[in-house]
Amino acid sequence: MKAPPYHLRPNKAVDRLTLIDAIKLVVAQTELGEYTYYGMGGPYLEDFRLMYELYPHMRMVCIEKDENVCKRQLFHLPCRSHRLRLEKMPLSSFLAKYEAKDEKSIFWLDYTKLRFSYLDEFMDLLGKVGANSLIKITLRCNPPDYQDTQPAEQTKKLERFKRTFETVLPTAFSALPVKLEDFALLIQNMVRIASQKALPSATPTMFLPIASFYYSDSSGIFTLTGIVCLRKEMSRFRELFKRWQFANLDWVAPKEINVPSLSTKERLHLQRHLPRRKNAGRRLLRSLGYLIDRDEATTEIQLQQYADFHRYFPYFIKAIP
Amino acid sequence: MAAEKQNPYKAVSAAPVKSFFVHMLTRDIRLEDAILDLLDNCVDGILRAKRSKPSPRRETSPYAGFWAEIKFDKTSFSIADNCGGIPWSLHEYAFRMGRDPSRPPDALGTVGAYGVGMKRAIFKLGTQCVIETKNATDAYEVDIPQGWMEDETNWSFPALPTKKMKHEGTTLVVGSLHPGISDRFSVDAQDFQSKLERMVATHYAFIIHKGLKVSINGIAVRPRPTKLLFTRSTRKAAKKIKEIQPFLFRTKTADGVEVFLAVGFTQPIPSLDQVENEQTEKRYSSEDAGWTIVCNDRAVVYCDRTELTGWGEAGIPRYHTQFIAISGVVEFKGDASKLPTTTTKRDVDASSPLYLQVKNKMREGMRIFTDYTNKWKARADESRDHMKAGTLLTLEEVKVESAHLKFTPTTTSVPPGEQYKPQLPTPKKLDSRYRRISYVKTVEDVQKVAEHMFDEPDMDPSEVGEACFDAFLKEAR
Repeated sequence: MKAPPYHLRPNKAVDRLTLIDAIKLVVAQTELGEYTYYGMGGPYLEDFRLMYELYPHMRMVCIEKDENVCKRQLFHLPCRSHRLRLEKMPLSSFLAKYEAKDEKSIFWLDYTKLRFSYLDEFMDLLGKVGANSLIKITLRCNPPDYQDTQPAEQTKKLERFKRTFETVLPTAFSALPVKLEDFALLIQNMVRIASQKALPSATPTMFLPIASFYYSDSSGIFTLTGIVCLRKEMSRFRELFKRWQFANLDWVAPKEINVPSLSTKERLHLQRHLPRRKNAGRRLLRSLGYLIDRDEATTEIQLQQYADFHRYFPYFIKAIP
Repeated sequence: MAAEKQNPYKAVSAAPVKSFFVHMLTRDIRLEDAILDLLDNCVDGILRAKRSKPSPRRETSPYAGFWAEIKFDKTSFSIADNCGGIPWSLHEYAFRMGRDPSRPPDALGTVGAYGVGMKRAIFKLGTQCVIETKNATDAYEVDIPQGWMEDETNWSFPALPTKKMKHEGTTLVVGSLHPGISDRFSVDAQDFQSKLERMVATHYAFIIHKGLKVSINGIAVRPRPTKLLFTRSTRKAAKKIKEIQPFLFRTKTADGVEVFLAVGFTQPIPSLDQVENEQTEKRYSSEDAGWTIVCNDRAVVYCDRTELTGWGEAGIPRYHTQFIAISGVVEFKGDASKLPTTTTKRDVDASSPLYLQVKNKMREGMRIFTDYTNKWKARADESRDHMKAGTLLTLEEVKVESAHLKFTPTTTSVPPGEQYKPQLPTPKKLDSRYRRISYVKTVEDVQKVAEHMFDEPDMDPSEVGEACFDAFLKEAR
């Protein structure tokens, strides 16, 4: 399977770093050894590389079913394999044999499509992981997939969507949103219902959302991170994240990641004015003195995005291999 | 004469312990079902009102102009309606635990027969309740106060006149919710509301379609009736072309219960690949297949796929994803006590003689469609062409269309009635000019080719195979 190069996916890179931030808030340095990171890695194992750099003592498990991708992953191993185990199997098979045994886990279910079976795996996982585990789910969220110029075909697509996701659809769902932000909110509501099904109020553990984003590097993506915690400890976790700028603890609309295209020189210039609590977009535009998008308003939005995510924004620079 | 020995004992009490009685009453019913019991009461109210004020419009849309509003949050639950209220003359029935045998028969068409629904629902939800009701002659309020459950001597609820109600109807508000219920209404609210909406939309599909407006927390519920593929045939009689239509059966029993049965396809049958994939990946969150049993417009069983409705018995195969396209509806109409439903009104009485007789017809109809599926499963793509001409119709629409069909009497069957048996297409041997090609490839390889050819890795494998052949054929020519 062809994987898009990383320098063409800056928004995903930002999203990846917000997960690192969330881990920092939940997991104390002394506890890192108690956690295992489970991910789906992709051919370059980028998230595993990051985890190893930042949390070298954390155990890691990569799940991949494609034989060729597995070989490529072996080539890209960021560390010795006693620290990072490669499991060549579909996620569903892995979940069938996964036993938490009260061990704490960090799971990134990094899907590239939107299917009911993925939500089914998410529900399965919520019921299995130990308390204080972090779960991140990423799903395709691309409105054009469900649009058609022919009304009859459009109706068929809507009916198929309803039939596929019926039990996790929110009340009053009647049409597929056309805007990316609306579609992201729909998927978030579906994930919310799935989490309530997996961990209903009668169970001692619950799924508390921490952050949710949507972005489009080439097609729309929705991603949500949450923590499985004991209900009686919910307020402790809410407190931990209360001041985090990306916190979404009440299932409000997900935040957009849409970092602008800026040269390294521009970024270094802008960074001198950051962080700012208010009107960062306007202040950065004034400092820059020119537009980077079609008009002033759009430029301000773009620069506000830069201000919000500048610490997570990767540098793609030419390097000698 | 010896003095009569005095009996040292007195009569022993067999009176029920209130908390035990109420606990037993509520433990076996699901919260969603208890709420549907309250909706049943609204419907029964409409039928009482209909009997007292008949009108021609009410025959086609018997529930038009009536509404029921359900609201819930962390602290309370309420259901308000304009469905005619509870006449004071029925208070013994409405508020007593169980049906008084001296009570006269219900209006034709009601679903309540045991006199427990409302009380069971109230105590399932919480421990305190106020019921306000108004009809043409009475307007009163019944209060179940906090602490009533703990008082073993008090088996009555105080009733007072009220002027709060502006329209004829009933408003029931339950407070002091049980902790588990309060959590369902707050912590699990999105899942619970979505599930309740789906249940109302399917179980009350007939009633909502016939005019009742139901809302849950301010959002109107749209009906979701089972729809069967029906080919309106004009050519069939002349050319004897076999087309997709449902099997139909209708009868009326000696004690006045009307039965209408329809079973058929709701969608094209799945291909072998689709069936196989479903084993490894759950593609759909639910399966709207199987039997729905409707008693007086209310579904008491929805999409059942067990022996209860004839699957896996008497020659019918057990339900399997392969049969996902088959659905049936049986409608029973008449005196509530004659209908084959259970006390919870959420199930069919499997031992009812009437139901057992109708079940024979359900199996007879179902067999036509399981046979078709088995015959065509390897040629699902061709079968899809049969379905294209069909339109999806609700049971009411099927009844209208059935006027053009030739029913045959079923005098040898029990109960005697009449039926329409469709002639479904049967696979013919391939024309000698054609050859069938089939081959097996790994999922990864099929996806690779599908992505290469269609930009869509999840294309149906049969379409990918056919496209490959066509591409090479074009090149060869």
